[in-house]
Amino acid sequence: MNKLLLPILLLAATTGLLTGCADRLDMENASIPLTLGLDLGQDNEPVMYSTFPVFTKNSKKKTQETSARARTFRQSRAEQDAHSAGVFSGRNYQVFLIGKRMLEQENWFQMLDVIFRDSKNTVSDRVIVFDGPLADIIYLNPKDQPLLPILLRGMVDTKSGKSETVNTNLQELHRQLFESGMTPSISEVRLDAKKNIKLNGTALLNHQGKYVTSLDTSETVLLRILQNKVKKSASITLSMPGEPEQKPFHLDKISFATDQTRTETKTITSTHQGEFHFDIIIKMKISLFEVLFPYDIENKTPELEQLLSEEMQKQFEKLIKKIQQHAIDPVGLGLHARAFEYKEYKAVKNDWGKALSSADIRVQVKIKIDAMGPVK
Amino acid sequence: MNVSASSKITNLQYILINSGLQVSVFFLALPRILAEQAGTDGWVSLIIGWMITVAASLIVVKIMARYPEGTLLDLLTHYGGKWAGRTAAVCLLLYLFYFGYSCLVQTALITKEWLLPQTSAYMIILLLLIPTYIVAISGIRIIGRYAEIVTLVSLWIPLVYLLPLKEAHWLHLLPIAGEGWQPIGAGVPYSLYCFLGFVSTFIFYPFLQNKSQASMAITVSNSLTLLAHLFVTLVCYVYFSPDEIREYNEPAINVLKIIEFKFIERIEVIFIAFYLLVFSLGWIPALYICAYCTNWLRNTQAERNHVRFFCLLLAIGSFFFIPDFHQNEMIEQIFLRLGILIEYILPIFLLLYVSVHDRFSGRKKA
Repeated sequence: MNKLLLPILLLAATTGLLTGCADRLDMENASIPLTLGLDLGQDNEPVMYSTFPVFTKNSKKKTQETSARARTFRQSRAEQDAHSAGVFSGRNYQVFLIGKRMLEQENWFQMLDVIFRDSKNTVSDRVIVFDGPLADIIYLNPKDQPLLPILLRGMVDTKSGKSETVNTNLQELHRQLFESGMTPSISEVRLDAKKNIKLNGTALLNHQGKYVTSLDTSETVLLRILQNKVKKSASITLSMPGEPEQKPFHLDKISFATDQTRTETKTITSTHQGEFHFDIIIKMKISLFEVLFPYDIENKTPELEQLLSEEMQKQFEKLIKKIQQHAIDPVGLGLHARAFEYKEYKAVKNDWGKALSSADIRVQVKIKIDAMGPVK
Repeated sequence: MNVSASSKITNLQYILINSGLQVSVFFLALPRILAEQAGTDGWVSLIIGWMITVAASLIVVKIMARYPEGTLLDLLTHYGGKWAGRTAAVCLLLYLFYFGYSCLVQTALITKEWLLPQTSAYMIILLLLIPTYIVAISGIRIIGRYAEIVTLVSLWIPLVYLLPLKEAHWLHLLPIAGEGWQPIGAGVPYSLYCFLGFVSTFIFYPFLQNKSQASMAITVSNSLTLLAHLFVTLVCYVYFSPDEIREYNEPAINVLKIIEFKFIERIEVIFIAFYLLVFSLGWIPALYICAYCTNWLRNTQAERNHVRFFCLLLAIGSFFFIPDFHQNEMIEQIFLRLGILIEYILPIFLLLYVSVHDRFSGRKKA
């Protein structure tokens, strides 16, 4: 009897502990917002959007959109909650959309504190800036495309694989904003003339998170090469100087894909002025895909490699000039400066973008043609 | 003291218990604590801390080798009389109870924050105490086996920490000692924090099956701890920006948030649940040693009752008081200072005393 007493008592005590299920949430009662949107309204007050998938058979529309005006995200939750059938929870965001007007403010990122402080929220949402008022894209609901968050996320994931945009999620944006040696870059989408969603390339922000300028897809490829982030192949099309265009065709074009790129960055600081020099050596192995002008590739490969290298170098220099003009550093050259020239870097750490704008950056491209395709 | 053959532990078990005590919950915040002191050079502090720890733990083994059949308490009774042993027992008891308690509370708070935000911390502690009770009451050998099992089922954890390395920025680690050696030195005491726990040798030594390899075992154990800490710290350093890492309370959890699988999001939740096993190695041996000490003090053979008493004490105590995050921080600070005093400084004096005493009494005999 006595032997049985203790286990029975323990069992009873354990049963008493099983109250943890009181806070459970059934799937039917949950609303799962997949998109989180933030924009500045007409009256310069922040507006928060979210879209939920709707799982009911009867509804024709597959999603529900809500918008709320509130000072903070957490505050807006009650209002968004009031629009939906279930309990609002932020554990499944796929994309975070921000309107361009919001992005033109400084320090907007602080509004996202709840994402990082409330551990239930996901931080792997892709960050995307929308060029225009956010309501346009949230309420668009194109009939021939998947749900907006799934479409956008797929866009960012696949295009960033081809290096045509960056793949910045909230965690990565947090890192880039806190890092003094680089400035953030995020994906950018807009609506084209026919109201179709289109990936625009990359938006570059400054240290405070304010929008500075945009890069189109081909410039983004160059940026990714400079960042040494091209993993799969990226495709590039160049105009060859000296070849006739022959309108309406552009017969001076040559297209290739990178098989392998390797970027080496060297940092040197000249001692007397504390000015930074960066030597960036880019080694690329490429496969030719398209040559619109007649060229004896087989016999004149070294010449073609030389020509391509020079042309690419010009492109890179143009991009770097653009970056320096805006006093930003999306490439992350500051990381190299910190790693190799710490003393000088520390002196200019608080305004690295400005320091970089007066730096001397030299790019050297070495292209090697791996394959020219089955045609001579 | 008589140690029966059934309560002996193997070297491997000893290594794992000791590493378990050292790793427990401390590694979650470690990258931040080190970064606050030494920036990205924190891993250098960690290696220096490891060297100091190896030296200190060898001293502990050296002391214990003077009286291989007894614990520290028997040894002190032998050298300094009954009251020396009793004082040591009380000190050790209080220290390890504090150790176990702070592990338990921290685990409860972290579980509450990441896993069960709406469950009260008291309830979590109660739930944690059930397996604690079952393991700790079964004696040292079962604790050893438990440590082995926990290690086995946790072996996959390091593999998952390799995933964030896809986004690694190795440049963060440079320059080494960019601010000079002073910050690295400042980080060393905090790196000792994560090696605390080898004091268990004082009690576990007589239970060792193979005492001649004790020095080797404790060095292996410390190195294992170093590897675990170094690995997690380095992953966090190359993943987070040096300017950013201080923003997170437990970077070792945040670093997992970004891992995505098609079938699961928020993988860190699963991790916390699995970590509970690793964490439990922090307080289970500690509570057992507490029970051993009280049992020794009262000179009874009822260790199990003492384990029951401590579990009950924790359960009832937590009902009335659970530290909040601020108080928890304070507990850690006190624990760090106390730990350095008891585990690093006292053994040196003890060794001096013991060897002087031996020489003195040896001469008298001659």
